[in-house]
Amino acid sequence: MLEATDVTKVYDTRGVETRALDGVSLRVDAGEFTALAGPSGSGKTTLLNLFGALDAPTAGQLRLDDQQLDQLSSAQLARLRLQQLGFIFQAYNLIPVLSARENVEFVMELQGVPAAERRERALAVLHEVGLGEIADKRPLEMSGGQQQRVAVARAIVSNPRVVLADEPTANLDSKTAAALLDLMEEMNREHGVTFLFSTHDPMVIEKARRVVRLRDGRVVSDEQREAESA
Amino acid sequence: MRVLDFLHSTVVLLRLALLSTVALLKPSTWRLALRNVGRNGRRTAVVLTGVSVGLGGMMLAMAVNYGMIFQMVESAIRTELGHVQVHGPGWEEQPGIEVRLPSDRIPSDLEQRAPGLRAWAPRVRGEGLVYSPRASVGVRVVGIDPAREASVTVLADSMTQGVFLDGERRKVLVGERLADRLKVDVGAKVVLSAQDVSGEMTGEAFRIAGFFRTASRELDESAVFLRLDEARRLFGLGDEVSEVVLVAHAESGSGPLRDWLAAQAPQAEVRTWKEIRPFLVQIIDMFEQTGWVVYAAIFVAMAFGIANVLLMSVMERTREIGILSAIGMPADRLVAMVLAEALVVTLGGVALGAALGFGGTALLSDGIDLSTWGEGLESFGIPTRIVPVLPAHQLGIPIVIAIVTAVVASLWPAIRAVRTRPAEAVRHV
Repeated sequence: MLEATDVTKVYDTRGVETRALDGVSLRVDAGEFTALAGPSGSGKTTLLNLFGALDAPTAGQLRLDDQQLDQLSSAQLARLRLQQLGFIFQAYNLIPVLSARENVEFVMELQGVPAAERRERALAVLHEVGLGEIADKRPLEMSGGQQQRVAVARAIVSNPRVVLADEPTANLDSKTAAALLDLMEEMNREHGVTFLFSTHDPMVIEKARRVVRLRDGRVVSDEQREAESA
Repeated sequence: MRVLDFLHSTVVLLRLALLSTVALLKPSTWRLALRNVGRNGRRTAVVLTGVSVGLGGMMLAMAVNYGMIFQMVESAIRTELGHVQVHGPGWEEQPGIEVRLPSDRIPSDLEQRAPGLRAWAPRVRGEGLVYSPRASVGVRVVGIDPAREASVTVLADSMTQGVFLDGERRKVLVGERLADRLKVDVGAKVVLSAQDVSGEMTGEAFRIAGFFRTASRELDESAVFLRLDEARRLFGLGDEVSEVVLVAHAESGSGPLRDWLAAQAPQAEVRTWKEIRPFLVQIIDMFEQTGWVVYAAIFVAMAFGIANVLLMSVMERTREIGILSAIGMPADRLVAMVLAEALVVTLGGVALGAALGFGGTALLSDGIDLSTWGEGLESFGIPTRIVPVLPAHQLGIPIVIAIVTAVVASLWPAIRAVRTRPAEAVRHV
C-alpha cells in the first residue's frame, strides 16, 4: 500500500545541508499497526511527512497503492490527503474555533458529505472514542487526552487508507497515552484501520505489531511481532 | 518557455480565484471566518472601529459634498436659471434686448405638450440704470409675469421686506444689497432708465414693492424685477419676450425637454442650465473629483489596516493553517477562508460606518452653518447653510470600495496561507 523506494531527503538551511533520510526503502501494508522508532533527528517525522504527502523527497520514489506521489500536483496531493490519509500530530491538532463534533465533521465537509450524514457519522465516531458527552465542547475546554481522541476520531471518520500519527502521545501523561494507544489499537483491530506512527516512547513501541527503527536517516531494523503482543 | 510558464501561472491563478469564489458560497467558510474573527475581540474591535469611523467620516463628507452640490444646483435653478431656457437666435453670442422671441409662438398648453415640463415663465431682460435720490447703479432690468415667475423660481419666497409683485402698477423688486447701495427703503421712489430697442433713452419712475435676498450675490446686487408689460413698455417692445424659462419635474428631465423644444423651434437657442452655466458644471466636477481623492485615501488606509491585521492573524495561525492543509483543505478553501474573514470585518465596518454616516447626516439635517464664509460662498452661488444629503443609492460606493478593499487586503495574507508548507507549519509553535 505505502511504499518508499530509496528515498533521500536533504534539508538546505541557509546553505547548510542536513540529510534527514538517506536511501530509505520501506513498505507498509493494509491493516498494519506499525511504529517508526528512533531517537530525535533519526528521520521518523520526515519519513512520516513524506508518506503523508506533506513534503517531497529529494530523491527516490513514494507510492500510495498505484499512485506515485512525486507525479501529483499540489491540488492532487491535497485531494489525496483529504480522501485517503488521516493525520494525528503531537498536539494542538484541532481547529480551536470548532467544537469536537465540528472538528470531526470538517474533513467530511471538505469531502462533500451531506450535512445530516456527516453529523451522524461524527457523533457515532465520537461515541466510539468515548467523547459523545463532550461533542459540543471546543478544544480549549478539553484535556490533552480528549483532544488527541478527537484527533483520532477526525483521522478515522472518513475511512482513510492509512492514519499517520506523529508522536501522538508525546504531550500526554503515561495513563492518558496508554488509553490513546488502546483506542488506536482497537480501531486497527475492529475496523482494520492502518496506523503508521512515529515515536520514541518505549510504551508505544511495545504496543506496535511492527517496529521499524531509524537512525541517522537510515532503517537499522524492521521487526515484526505477534498479533497478541498488542 | 517563459510565455508558457506565464500562461500556466495565469490559468492556475484564475482557477484558484474561481474556485475560491465558489468556496465563498459555502456556509462553513463563513462560519469558520466568523469564529476566527471573534477569536481576538480586541483586535477585531480596533479594525471595526477604524473601518467604521473611516467609512462613516467618508459618508458624512460625501453627504456634505452632495448637499453643497445639490443646493448649489438647486439654488441656481430655482433662483433664476430654470432647467432650460429658450432665447432668440444670437443670444448666446450677444445677449441683450435686441434678441427677442415672439411670444405668440409659445403655445398656451405648453405644460401639456412638452415632456416632463412642470412650469414655464416668460421674461424680458435688458440693461439699465436705477436712480435713487442718493445713488445710481447699473442694473439688469428683468420683466416678469409674477404668477408664472413664482412657479419657476423662488423669487416670491425670497422676499425679506415688502411684498412680491402683484396687480399694482409701477412697482419694482430689488435685492437687499442693491437697496443698500441705493440707500432706499421699501416704498421709496426710484427711476429706471434704459435704452429702448430703437436706441432712444427712456425712463420711468417706480416705487419699491419689496426687497429680496437669494443665494445669488450677483442677483441681489444688480437685478431689478418689474412686471412684464411694464418692461416691454420701458424697452419699447411689442408682444415679445427675451427668454422663456422652463422647469422640468426633475433635473434629469432637462435634456429631453431641451431636445423636444429644439425640435419644435429650430431657429431658437435652447439650452439647459449646464450649457448656460458651464462654470457651475466645472465646480460640480471639481467637488466630485475631490471626493474621489478622499475615497482613494480612505481606501488605501483601510486596505493597509485590514491587510496588517489579517496578516498578523494568518501568521499567528501558521500551525493551524498547516494542519488544515495537512488534512486536505484545498488552496481555494484557504483563500476563501481568509477572504471571508476580511469581508466579515470589512462589511461589519461598513454596516457600522453606514449607521454613523446616515446617523450623522440625520443629526445635521438642520444644516451646517457656514455663514462665517458666507461672502465667499455666495459669490459661487452656494447657500451659507448646507444640509447634508446622503442618497440611499450612494451607499453603493462605500460598499463596493469596502469589498474591493477586503479582496485587495486579503490577497497578501491569503497567498501566505496558501504558501504555508504543511510539514513545516505543523511543527510551528
